[in-house]
Amino acid sequence: MDEPSGGRSPRRWPGWLTGWAFVLPAIALFAVMGVYTIGSGLALSFAKWNGFTPTWNWVGIQNYLDLLYADPVLAPELRRAGWNTLQVMILAPLLTVAISLPLAVALNSIRRLRAVLRSVYFLPYVTTGVAIYFAWRYVLEPDGAINTLLRSLGLGTLAQPQGFLGNPDTALPTLILILVWSSVPVATLLYLSGLQAVDPNLFEAAQIDGAAPRHVLRRIIWPLLRPITAAIVLLGVRDTLHGFQIFLVMTRGGPGGHTDVLALMAYRLSFFKGLAQTLGLASALGWLLFAAAVLLTLANARMLRRVR
Amino acid sequence: MTGRRVVRAVVFAALFVYALISLYPFLWMVSGAFKSRSEILEGRFLPRDFTLDTLTQTWGRLHFFDYFLNSLKVTGLTVLGVLVVYSLASYAFAVLDFPGRRILYWFFVALLFVPGITMLLPVVILEKQLGVLGTHIGLVLPFVNGTAPLTVLLLTNAYGSIPREMREAARSDGASEARIFWSVYLPLSRPAHVTVAVLTAVPTWNEYVLTRVSISDPSRYTLPLGLESLISSEVPRYNEVMAASLIIVIPVIVLFLFLQRYFVNGLVGALKG
Repeated sequence: MDEPSGGRSPRRWPGWLTGWAFVLPAIALFAVMGVYTIGSGLALSFAKWNGFTPTWNWVGIQNYLDLLYADPVLAPELRRAGWNTLQVMILAPLLTVAISLPLAVALNSIRRLRAVLRSVYFLPYVTTGVAIYFAWRYVLEPDGAINTLLRSLGLGTLAQPQGFLGNPDTALPTLILILVWSSVPVATLLYLSGLQAVDPNLFEAAQIDGAAPRHVLRRIIWPLLRPITAAIVLLGVRDTLHGFQIFLVMTRGGPGGHTDVLALMAYRLSFFKGLAQTLGLASALGWLLFAAAVLLTLANARMLRRVR
Repeated sequence: MTGRRVVRAVVFAALFVYALISLYPFLWMVSGAFKSRSEILEGRFLPRDFTLDTLTQTWGRLHFFDYFLNSLKVTGLTVLGVLVVYSLASYAFAVLDFPGRRILYWFFVALLFVPGITMLLPVVILEKQLGVLGTHIGLVLPFVNGTAPLTVLLLTNAYGSIPREMREAARSDGASEARIFWSVYLPLSRPAHVTVAVLTAVPTWNEYVLTRVSISDPSRYTLPLGLESLISSEVPRYNEVMAASLIIVIPVIVLFLFLQRYFVNGLVGALKG
């Protein structure tokens, strides 16, 4: 490990220099990979460029206007991707909470097998990534395991002959369910740690006082779990705005744009438009996403404060 | 009494059903990896002719051994870089006093809100100019930088929770700042370092987006790119795809089984922060 030069003769070095010596590597890396890239990305969002020509064409805020309403091709594309993003952003955290809260309560109520089940539930989180998405693709194929299962259960009408990802009506719901599947582990874990922090004496006291279970849930458990729920929803919203790997790997936004999301659109504009001058647009879209993330976080923080 | 027993049975049944749902794609991944190509698209779960050929072929002829080494290199360097760079910085944030400390700290943590996609394109453009695009170092640098918010948060908390008296005692014994950091804070924060290491290693091992747009030379492919190259052929051979997926997932599962509590501590700690 690098010994910061400030350490060798601490008495002759002013204290502030020691502090800066310690943070220097982090700042140096951040100056190159962070400040410079953020700055150049922001600048690029006001220009048109295809990545190859030596100069950028400055266009002011035209990229933003094109994306939001001016361009007849891009604006509708953005709206559709935005609508899909919104659906994912609302449904995925909601379903995650709806599944993981009862799961955590159930898990908390048993003693035997709790540790084993907790590990099993956690597995989807650790392995989330390309490999597991391909495994899902495999079971969702037209002749895949899920269709076979549905047919053998006599639910053949629910089976999807083109595959769940090939049918425009089922593709997005399927992806949302897989996102829920991979975010339930962390949510369950957080709820479980919240439940375990509840003082068991509190329950007993409530029972002695003759409180109905419904009241115990509403007055004692829920207030404790509310901040956790807020955190889970915030995480889910953030992941939806930031993450698009599942969409890239499983459908590439198809069929026919039905699973396109904003981050995926930015990715496409960045890397798959050949010589077209779309890099500025991609940057602008990235900054719109950043703005949305900040706004949603602030709104969430406000709500949290009001709740408290 | 029987009513309570029925409730318990229902609870257990529900827990087992969800355990099955959690494991569902893994079970098919394992079954697919041991099937031959002729059998892979039949709906049967257990392979009729159990074969190891798919795995050995994927490992050898399809170069997954090489991809494995590349992934190991990128992940190892990233974890090392993260630990060196941010343990130093977090120590300064937690215990040293210098002008700009609070602002810098919040700056690093606020980066959590910058979406990866916003940074992706400028990073690629910059790396092209620097000539590191497409190299493993070109992956490691942004990966290390990308972990900054979470790592600084976790490590600053960990160092901050060590009693100040220990530092004062070491100081009065004449230890330098570097010495205190190295001999007092680092050994006492082992659990936090392991947590940071696993929380860095797993996403790096699985990283696909930046790797995909920067690495073009197949000899530098990491495992996720190798996996993708299998599926981009016209008719994906799912037995090989599942064998490759298994090769990616198994090290992560092993790591998780051994270091489970560090994952848990890290996630809970990160959210409290």
